[in-house]
Amino acid sequence: MVNRECGVFFSTYAADMRLFPLPLTRWTMVGIAGLGFVVFPLVASDYFLNIANLVCIAAVGAIGLNLLVGYTGQISVGHGAFIAAGAYAGALVVTRAGLPFWIALPFGGLMAAVVGAFFGIPSLRIKGLYLAIATLAAQFIIEWLIIHIEWISGGAESTVTVPKAAIGPWVLDTLLEQYFLNLIVLSLAIVFAMNLVRSPIGRAFIAIRDRDVAAEVIGVNLFRYKLLAFAVSSFYAGVTGILYALYLGAANYEQFDIATSIDFLAMIIIGGLGSILGSVFGAFFITVLPMALRVAVDGAVTAALFLFPAANISHVVQSMTAVKLILFGGLIIVFLIVEPEGLNKLWRNIKDYFRVWPYSY
Amino acid sequence: MKGSKWLVTVVASIAGLLAFTLIGAPVADGQSKEPIRFGIMYDQTGPTSVWGVPIVAGARDYTRLVNKKGGINGHPIEWVEHEMGYKVPTAIEGYERFKAAKVVAFWAWGTPIIYALWERATTDKIPATTPGFGRADAADGERYRYVFPMAASYWSQAGAGVKFIMDQWKKEGKTGKPKIAFLYWDNPAGREPFPILEKLQKQEGFQFKSWAVPTPGLEMSAQVQDIVRRYRADWVITHIWSKAPAISIKEFKRLGFPMNRVVSFVWGAAEHDMIAAGWDVAEGYYGMQFAGVGADYPVHREIAQMYKEEGKTPPKEMFEISVGYNRGMLWVGVMIEAARLALDKYGWPLDGAKLQKGFEMIDGVRGLEGVAPQLKITPKDHEGGGYVQIFQTRGGKIVPATDWFHGYRDVVLEAVYATKEGKK
Amino acid sequence: MRFLLDELPFFLELLVSGLLIGMMYALVALGFVLIYKASQAINFAQGEFVMFGGFVVAASMRYHGLSLVLSLALGFGAMVVIGLLMERLVLRPLTGRGVIAIIMATIGLASILKGLLLLIWGPLSVNIPLPIREEPVEIFTLLVKLVAVVGAIISLVFLAGFSFLFLRSRLGIALRAVADNQTVAQLMGIDVRHYFALTWVTAGVVATIGGVMWGNMIGADVHTALIGLKVFPVVILGGLTSVPGAVLGGLIVGAVENLAAGYIDPFVGGGTKDFVPYILMILALMVRPYGFFGEQVIERV
Repeated sequence: MVNRECGVFFSTYAADMRLFPLPLTRWTMVGIAGLGFVVFPLVASDYFLNIANLVCIAAVGAIGLNLLVGYTGQISVGHGAFIAAGAYAGALVVTRAGLPFWIALPFGGLMAAVVGAFFGIPSLRIKGLYLAIATLAAQFIIEWLIIHIEWISGGAESTVTVPKAAIGPWVLDTLLEQYFLNLIVLSLAIVFAMNLVRSPIGRAFIAIRDRDVAAEVIGVNLFRYKLLAFAVSSFYAGVTGILYALYLGAANYEQFDIATSIDFLAMIIIGGLGSILGSVFGAFFITVLPMALRVAVDGAVTAALFLFPAANISHVVQSMTAVKLILFGGLIIVFLIVEPEGLNKLWRNIKDYFRVWPYSY
Repeated sequence: MKGSKWLVTVVASIAGLLAFTLIGAPVADGQSKEPIRFGIMYDQTGPTSVWGVPIVAGARDYTRLVNKKGGINGHPIEWVEHEMGYKVPTAIEGYERFKAAKVVAFWAWGTPIIYALWERATTDKIPATTPGFGRADAADGERYRYVFPMAASYWSQAGAGVKFIMDQWKKEGKTGKPKIAFLYWDNPAGREPFPILEKLQKQEGFQFKSWAVPTPGLEMSAQVQDIVRRYRADWVITHIWSKAPAISIKEFKRLGFPMNRVVSFVWGAAEHDMIAAGWDVAEGYYGMQFAGVGADYPVHREIAQMYKEEGKTPPKEMFEISVGYNRGMLWVGVMIEAARLALDKYGWPLDGAKLQKGFEMIDGVRGLEGVAPQLKITPKDHEGGGYVQIFQTRGGKIVPATDWFHGYRDVVLEAVYATKEGKK
Repeated sequence: MRFLLDELPFFLELLVSGLLIGMMYALVALGFVLIYKASQAINFAQGEFVMFGGFVVAASMRYHGLSLVLSLALGFGAMVVIGLLMERLVLRPLTGRGVIAIIMATIGLASILKGLLLLIWGPLSVNIPLPIREEPVEIFTLLVKLVAVVGAIISLVFLAGFSFLFLRSRLGIALRAVADNQTVAQLMGIDVRHYFALTWVTAGVVATIGGVMWGNMIGADVHTALIGLKVFPVVILGGLTSVPGAVLGGLIVGAVENLAAGYIDPFVGGGTKDFVPYILMILALMVRPYGFFGEQVIERV
């Protein structure tokens, strides 16, 4: 956080290109990891562990979507469908083939990647809004396939019950154990994504985002990299799906509908497009916002009933829940207008402030 | 930077509010005995909001009535309320709140949500109720110990629907077998009745064909046209919800199909569906109910009296959407009944495991005479018999057309217990 | 041959009702296209516009006992205000931002409109009584819904009106100039903001009419907004920037939907109605990336 570049000099390219060039940043990372892995689990109750779990799982998917939308500039409104594809693929591997979850995770991811790449094919011909709506088609088609192919859905309920993750005899069935699993996966996801975007592949992605025609002219293979972006993004989505399935104990496609896709889009826009850290912030924000609003509304109901004892409590509650929707929409709009670059920018502002603190100029 | 300051304020205040609620736990209001807490999870902003409003209103009024009369053996009932907008992550958050608040039972609102929560509920030993929806095979109480799909699952509704049609067919003195069309919502909940319907078709020998209504269910002219003009069905069973029931009523009317040949499952037969379609258009329409309809039962008079004493008027839902309002009373009524039974037998303090036993002793719901169906829950049968009552829309009112009954219980139960050894 | 003859009336009926429904989709899609054409803004809240406009009319009639004409006027008024506010408070600050920012802002608006409706009137569905007969009309043994016919006629009237507006009037020329190149239009002395506001207002009015027609067919409540999902294949097929394209897209989607429900559903176990238009849309996009009538964009580095 407190990045003092002063007095740090690099004498090799390798040193200059390290993920965290500054010694202090590295220590900060160790500190954050310590907070996440040691301090938080020690103090948090089940309620907060559950929220942390949901945030970790969502963050993996948000990073994936950001790689596609924020880094490669291809809009996708079908992320929910890719999550569902991964969830079912992983769930089937666990239940049918009886394989452990650590095989199901990459397998489900790969399956989702294949599906995602397939639905990414139109991106070669179309872009912008046309592409966004073409990916919306993925949502409808995948949902339909899941419901109607019994081999996938396992019967009329379209729900595959998944046993809890287990390493040998050790079953991860408490929220705390699941938290460690989710946090480790999230850490891996962050590290992989950070390295990906500073690799040649990542630079190709960014070139495509900035101007795909220009990128093609300088020799970026659009076909390969666009599909790769869809595949990587969907891999992340697939992993999110299996994490959800393991966490909830079931893969059920109704949990991954259009609203899910839109929530993920909201995460990366609010977090900051083209920012890995921003995706995590965004996942936190969008997961916690409804909960925070509910808390606020509960408070408002109490206050309203105190002030107007004659009011019918059912009607007060009903009105206040409607206010929740208005606040949710309003906050998103205000956020978009006030902070175009998202939470990540906010974070950078804070960082920049402390960079020269206390000798600001 | 100006914008950022604003944002910092918002983020900080949200964090503060969050901390506030978690620390500021519910304060007891001077009651002599400790309260019994129920987890009330519902949706008033999502796709099921049209049900969420009347159901919660009914449940709240009935809870207040019970509290006014001294609660459950002197223990007041306290709600831990959670509006979750039909979103699974928010619902799980609600469940964890319930767990932290030590609720003894909770509503799991909606099919995806019971799928996401039943395992946790079983591990934590907190009974979940899913009246009128949820997985039908959860009626098997030995397998799903903490799930109570009370009143009537979709399987029981299918049995009852077919029985009603066969009875009517005989009553009208027709020969041969009826041609039945099934119009269903194309998702897991909508497809759930299939095993029962297919089995009954084999057993009873009627003609049967089905039509799907995909989400969002706003338009079904092709399906209805097919049913009326090509298949020429004698009877139609519909299993659709949201806006779809009203739309189907209008479509059938437009194609001249007699409305008294349509039977709807429980989520397509409320006053709001008739209002949306127009009462005169829906004249004759049959619908299944797992709670009484109307505001003429004794309990309604008591609630009206309670409001009068408070100097207020009862909510309009009580009269206008009595289907939802009464279901809300039933939903919370069975929890109260279970708590009462558990308290009588095992005494204070109550917990989820005791309440689970309480649920399994339910035989009728005291205090909700008329509103509640015949309901006898046993450790083996968590559904309580699968009774429904069929009502008909007549003259701007929903009036009873049959008594409480269940159809082909043997077939339904066979399916419930078959899944245990079956392929799943 | 015998089979075909038996099948023909049913086929025709499906087709006709599909086409009519398609025109009703077009009614919703028109507002969407209008906004996109003028300002390149994508209105994900189109369904909510239709819902809100229709509901204001419905609520005025049912809850406040106003006449249809007065209610319509109120509905138009409400949507004009919302359109203006949207343009002024949300889209103007977002000018020049990416596609996704605008998508997200309109999704936020959708949530606000839903919340407003629930807050003011609650979730109950309201029927909009129109002086149109509920019973079907038989034309050459085909049963046809009168509402849908009226809806189709309104769609056509709008199509003609907008075509005239865009091609002939001074206003239309200005609008086309704005759509073509904002900077140049501004240099030519066209008040771009004024025209943006005008399109949002027009879209609001069209949405209200769509809302009333759909409200009569399916009842008005928050779920009416889901009709917005049907708009996407319609506008993409027709081309995002074309008014006649929206009508053509509507016709195709309506017909294909109905025929799929009639002829594909029985073989695959139902439910194809919803996604067949999307598949068709993807296939069409592979051949014509800008829809049937959409403006081709020539890219240069």
